[in-house]
Amino acid sequence: MVFIVILIISFALQSFFPWWVVIVVSFATCGIIGKTGKISFWQPFLAILVLWTGMALYKSMPNHHLLASRVAEMFGLKVWPAILVVTAIIGGLAAGISGLCGYYFRKSTITSKAKS
Amino acid sequence: MNRVKALICILIPILLGYSLNTKFGDLPPILKFLNPFTGFWQNAEGMSPSKNKKIVLKNAKDKIEIAFDDRMIPHVFAQNDHDLYYAQGYVTAMHRLWQMDFQTRFAAGRISEVVGAKAIEVDKYQRRMGMVYGAENSLEGMMADPHAKEMLLAYTQGINDYIKSLNRCNLPVEYKLLDFKPEQWTPIKCALLLKQMSAVLAMGSDEFYMTNILKKYGPAITKDLFPDYPFKEDPIIPVGTKWDFTPLPIPATPKSFTDMMSTNIATKQKEEGIGSNNWAVSGAKTASGFPILANDPHLDLTLPSIWYQIQLHAPGVNAYGVSLPGAPGIIIGFNQNIAWGVTNVAADVLDFYQIKFKDDKHQSYWYNNKWQNTKPRYEKIKIKGAADIVDTVLYTHHGPVVYFQKPNYGRAANVPTGHALRWIAHDKSNELKAFYLLNRGKNYNDYRKALPYFTAPAQNFIFASVDNDIAITPNGKFPLKWKNQGKFILDGTDPSNDWQGWIPAAQNPTVKNPPRNFVSSANQSSTDPSYPYYINWEFAPYERGKRINDKLKAMEKITADSMRNLQMDSYSIMAENLIPYLLPLVNAANLNATQKEAFNLTSKWNKYFDAKSVAASVFDLWTKRLSIEIWDDEFNDKQNPMRYPSRDRTIELIQKDPNSKWFDNVNTAKKETLSDLVNSSFKYACDSLERKYGTIGEHWQWANVKNTNVPHLAKIPGFGSKKLLIGGSKSTVNALSESNGPSWRMVIELGKTPKGHGVYPGGQSGNPGSPFYDNMIDTWAEGKLYDLFFMQSPDDKSGKIISRYKISKK
Repeated sequence: MVFIVILIISFALQSFFPWWVVIVVSFATCGIIGKTGKISFWQPFLAILVLWTGMALYKSMPNHHLLASRVAEMFGLKVWPAILVVTAIIGGLAAGISGLCGYYFRKSTITSKAKS
Repeated sequence: MNRVKALICILIPILLGYSLNTKFGDLPPILKFLNPFTGFWQNAEGMSPSKNKKIVLKNAKDKIEIAFDDRMIPHVFAQNDHDLYYAQGYVTAMHRLWQMDFQTRFAAGRISEVVGAKAIEVDKYQRRMGMVYGAENSLEGMMADPHAKEMLLAYTQGINDYIKSLNRCNLPVEYKLLDFKPEQWTPIKCALLLKQMSAVLAMGSDEFYMTNILKKYGPAITKDLFPDYPFKEDPIIPVGTKWDFTPLPIPATPKSFTDMMSTNIATKQKEEGIGSNNWAVSGAKTASGFPILANDPHLDLTLPSIWYQIQLHAPGVNAYGVSLPGAPGIIIGFNQNIAWGVTNVAADVLDFYQIKFKDDKHQSYWYNNKWQNTKPRYEKIKIKGAADIVDTVLYTHHGPVVYFQKPNYGRAANVPTGHALRWIAHDKSNELKAFYLLNRGKNYNDYRKALPYFTAPAQNFIFASVDNDIAITPNGKFPLKWKNQGKFILDGTDPSNDWQGWIPAAQNPTVKNPPRNFVSSANQSSTDPSYPYYINWEFAPYERGKRINDKLKAMEKITADSMRNLQMDSYSIMAENLIPYLLPLVNAANLNATQKEAFNLTSKWNKYFDAKSVAASVFDLWTKRLSIEIWDDEFNDKQNPMRYPSRDRTIELIQKDPNSKWFDNVNTAKKETLSDLVNSSFKYACDSLERKYGTIGEHWQWANVKNTNVPHLAKIPGFGSKKLLIGGSKSTVNALSESNGPSWRMVIELGKTPKGHGVYPGGQSGNPGSPFYDNMIDTWAEGKLYDLFFMQSPDDKSGKIISRYKISKK
């Protein structure tokens, strides 16, 4: 569920907002419907990994990966898929960590309410 | 406790977002750059562009059509001049916006704004040399002319209307990488770009070095080693051409100069980079009976390509050629009736004046027996990530005092401190008008009318017309100088050292239809010593010019293809002049196996700098080292920087004076001879090639050693070209070194319908993610030319059109 929600909302919002909207989306989604810590990390991670890989390939395939190869070389990488992996993993990590933070944010605010 | 935890849970994502969205040092803002929705992936262009597009631009006055041919070259069809240059601005920005922006920021000394504090000295240098001051003056000159003003304003509007259409996604990739945004274009940027061409082509100055030499060795030796006319020369205006004008009186040479040159008063090797070739042959020598014109300007090669091909069609004009991204019009090209091209003239249009200041405040300086006031100009430099600085530059009537303290910056090495700069690029000018007229020129008279508008950087304007006229004119605004004025630093207190007028434009050296039936230039001396005025004491070495003239003299029934072959010619006149004198001095008995093999190859060498020649590598390194061994002991002084005598003078010494004292290394007790140096430099060359490339063989081949490549303008790795295995060398017609060489090769056959051929190392698009970024580079490397599609109408079917833009007001 978290996976699908983040995937769809991020796809929709990224057309209008800067990339960091995925951090907000992951945080909010997991803050509301993240069931466990595990889910709140892995599902945003995978959602952005898949979304970004898909989008990158959508732009890069008609280009025969000309630009991806040049950027890979700029980063000292040998082949273009390497820059795709770097893009997807850093994006995924940013989302995953934000999701996890969203989840723990809810937990910490709920328990603090219970205590008070 | 939990509140802390909640806070941490909010802080982590914010920090994450911030750090991945921010540029640290040279690292791009990582996810801002990498994310596929707005980052670099969005710049990946499909292999086939969209076929047809309708664009509504309210600043267009009438309908405009732009047809893109199969190399993405735009052919603009407009109904009036405004729309023509408006569309040129629009389409150039579409392909080259970042390049235009970056180059003009560089010219204006505004790179620190983009890359931060590391570029401060670069910016200060540009400002202190008076680049912005010059551009402001130049703009004034252009805005005073209705044609130039219309060109500038329309072009600017076109660029800005393109910038308006940009968003986060389609911003050029370099902006994303360096994390800055395009700013509004203004006409001053066009002026800055033209000033930058002057800076590239006419900022060379040896007078500081020459003055140090004069101080150290005195006038006799200086005259001997740095003569005013070369030993071997083949000038641009053929020897024997008559000057059909009465020259103006030359200002008197001040007594102080004569004294300096006749009494012993107490008071790095020159890099050969800037050069170009052009020639035109008359119909008498061609197969078609019509003239053919060829031009290949040599510059520091970069991607995106230095030039931008375009065809401009409107009532009264139909011209095709290359433009500079950032300036309206066509610089080198052709139209129905004429073709024109340029090479650089090494005119002495930059002088340093020694200034006598009243005190350390530098508010007054001594001139014409009076104290005069300096004028401050405040240069505000913005710096990314730091506070602005204000640099005060003091101006005398000569120009800016460039430095009071020498910065640690390479390009400042030839600038003497406490001296004022007088430079032609500071003057009001209107170069655009010259191109406006040439683009519309119909015949020789139109060509002559266009030239006086061109001030700097002085160029050898070559011309051919369908009426079978050919001509060449070393052209620019040349100060009227006494002989050798500015060979050394000038005394700024004495008015007789000022520039005291100008050589009348009509009296610039020129030749039309000479008996030899061709005209040519390769940056060598403009004229022989019979020309009544002084332009400079030294020009580029003569070898390329000599080879071109030798070949053209012998050629008959010339075709475009024979011209193309001549552009690719890599035969070395320098080797022809040196090898017979050097080889006999090599003591073969003292060589090891590798050196012997190298010696054998060099002895059998055909003197062509071919890609696969091993001898070319040996010869190149050998003679470079020999030059160092001859001159470095006498002319390398860190405290008082000097330059070496020219290659021409060195060859003269080797050929005619093998026992000269200059061959002795003054740092050793032993007395060295030319033969000693020839042997030690030969061994040095072989040993260093062996160290770097292993045993003599394939890896020693010239192309591999030379390592030609075309780097990105901002030297971004991955955005440059691969290593190109091609021949040529600075002293040959195909003057290609590591990354300096023919930036555009063009051959135009005039006739009923002119036929153009051309190529540059790169492509139309400035986007590294476009298939048109470097699609022409292999053709260029192979030495081939494309047939240029000179369209007669928007519906011309004789070439391939892959995309069409229709621009209208609504």
